[in-house]
Amino acid sequence: MTTATEEGRRNSRRGKRQESTTAKAESKVAWAFSSPALILLLAFTVAPFLLAFILSFTNQRLISPLPTRFVGLDNYIDTLSSANFWKGFFNNVWFVAVVVPVQTAFALWLAILVNRKIPGRVFFRTVFFLPVVTVMAAAAVIWSLLFNANGLINAIMETVTFGNFTVDWLNSTTWALPAMMLVGIWQGVGFQMVILLAALQDVPEVLYEAASIDGASRWQQFRNVTLPGIRNGLIFVVTVTMILAFRLFDQVYIMPRVPGGPLDSTRTMMLDLVETGFGAQAIGRGASIAIVFFVIVLSLTLVQRRFIREEGEVT
Amino acid sequence: MKARYLVVLIAALALVAGACGGGSLDAAADCDGEIPSGSTVEVWMHEGSEFTELDAAMQSFNTTTGPGLGITVEVVSIPESGYTDAVKAAAAANDLPDIIEFDGPTMANFAWAGSILAMEECISDETKDNLLPSLIEQGTYADNLWGVGTFDSGLGLWAWRSALQEVGATIPTDPDDAWTAEEFEQVLRDLKAAGYEFPLDIKPWYGSQGEWFAYAFAPMLWSAGASLIDRGSYDSADGALNSDEAVEVLTLFQSWVNDGLIDMQAADDSNFLEKRSPISWVGHWMFSAYSEAAGDDLVLLPLPDFGDGTRTGMGSWAWAIANGAADADAAMAVIDFMVSDDVVLAITGANGAVPGTKSAIAKSPNHAPGGPLELYVTQLEGAPDIAQPRALTPAYPTMTQTFTATLDDIMQGKDVKTALDEAVATIDADIDANEGYPEPE
Repeated sequence: MTTATEEGRRNSRRGKRQESTTAKAESKVAWAFSSPALILLLAFTVAPFLLAFILSFTNQRLISPLPTRFVGLDNYIDTLSSANFWKGFFNNVWFVAVVVPVQTAFALWLAILVNRKIPGRVFFRTVFFLPVVTVMAAAAVIWSLLFNANGLINAIMETVTFGNFTVDWLNSTTWALPAMMLVGIWQGVGFQMVILLAALQDVPEVLYEAASIDGASRWQQFRNVTLPGIRNGLIFVVTVTMILAFRLFDQVYIMPRVPGGPLDSTRTMMLDLVETGFGAQAIGRGASIAIVFFVIVLSLTLVQRRFIREEGEVT
Repeated sequence: MKARYLVVLIAALALVAGACGGGSLDAAADCDGEIPSGSTVEVWMHEGSEFTELDAAMQSFNTTTGPGLGITVEVVSIPESGYTDAVKAAAAANDLPDIIEFDGPTMANFAWAGSILAMEECISDETKDNLLPSLIEQGTYADNLWGVGTFDSGLGLWAWRSALQEVGATIPTDPDDAWTAEEFEQVLRDLKAAGYEFPLDIKPWYGSQGEWFAYAFAPMLWSAGASLIDRGSYDSADGALNSDEAVEVLTLFQSWVNDGLIDMQAADDSNFLEKRSPISWVGHWMFSAYSEAAGDDLVLLPLPDFGDGTRTGMGSWAWAIANGAADADAAMAVIDFMVSDDVVLAITGANGAVPGTKSAIAKSPNHAPGGPLELYVTQLEGAPDIAQPRALTPAYPTMTQTFTATLDDIMQGKDVKTALDEAVATIDADIDANEGYPEPE
């Protein structure tokens, strides 16, 4: 969509200088080229969203002989007064608050490592990227075995801490979510690494040369050359990580004994949505969760963008 | 310009929304006794433990009975974890096949929603009379038969006889002599004292796979005189799921978890196979693995009696004529074949389940009197006083999801009364949201 509007703007600018017929023809070509993407977006993103918006004001069921009725704001009242939804919300916030900074920092560290001209770096890039291409559902099953009270992770913990720290990860209300954070970071970090790697390679070599001639230390180079150089990449990574982290579902559905367990300590908004919409077949109320979820994520993204942009303007 | 696009968009949305509404449906299958030749019957099956045998049976239909009737079966296999959701989604899109497999207690919801058709008019008296009474009970909703199974399930306690003898426990093999809850607890404590770290195995790791908790542990409530829902009116869980009896029995169960009588960390069958947990609370599907490990030392016992006599679960995967059936007679012919003795025996011989017909039970050495699985047959013949169907109400999907989460919370240490009151509120809210699930006419 962005490309289409940019194209349109460029066309209109050109139109002032050239004959307007050419501009019209070009605009037609632009629409023709962007129409497949636009149609798909409309059919699979815009239309379902608008449908969800409409359904959220009805009592639509997944399958039911009862007629669908308009119920006003009932679904929103139910959602916003549901204890499960808020448990999910706060778990989501806790997950995001840990995963976004840790995963971004870790991804940057990995990107810097594999950006060095060391032998075998292609191998390491591939290895770090591998978790991204595995299916999360399959990985979650393996990880739940590793996190078992008698599993590999506790065996390592026992050796490393001389038996002082072992915990039944997935059956502990304190440790179940952190275990899933680890899995999330393990799976997502490779993707972020690749984006930051591309950003790192865009930083001109001459800047580092100039900095070292000026006597800047490694840390000063990192602070004053690398970080400003990859700023756009970092903003992108932080935003995308946050949105993906809010969508947390696979781990919390598969890894605990019952989805969202133990004692709802890993319940998320997405899980609440699926259990309401599919499990209890209440599509109308599920749609209201989806809309509230969308509003929350959208507003957090906007706040974040504004915050980062203003900081950028100061420097 | 923009306004015109908006109008087109809204029109498109209205079309989609209209399509989702669906039309009115016939609840009963229309059987005229004639099968158009060249019929194709599409069957949806879940990839469960007996898929290979069931699929082989379907293929043999195509070479034996099928050609004579002019019917070809096409099997569509769907992974077990997403099976019920796939059927729901197809129902919502009006895209169901001719026959679906369903897990016993989901029947009432499918029937209520119009996804499956009543087969009362289609099934022959001969077939119906030969079915296990428990199958008919589990397949009946709103005074109509909606589904029949090739087999029924059996639930009880598997035990290593030598371990029970070691602690001098009585060995009940008939439902009438079931251990009382106190006796059962004493056996577990004696076994623990004798060096078995976690005497009872309950397969907690089946938990997230849907029906296990409700299937295995609702009998505990029934036996204590409680229930998941008011079994008369089916309009509320209040006073049933949060009754004093329910609180008491689940508090007792919670104390067994707290006292380490149950290994909640178990992640596979090795506890029983290697005799670390000499008693296993599980269904028929473990028969072949367990008898291979324990041999003659394996013994099958009824579940404990929590006050009102022992109760156990029943119902398993079964067949229904789906709302998409092109010809109900053709679909019924295929279902008839799936409950014929040869097919029933081939499948129950492999998975240890109870044959779904009286004539097949008589031919199955494992289930005959004196056979190792005789108890399962006794329990099912005693239905609904011993084996009891899970609630036959369209509210069941919410009930099982809620009960599973609640029981897990209780095993994790949540206050029992609080947990059950919350569960009641969730179930009652679902019944209200569906206007009390009025029965189809």
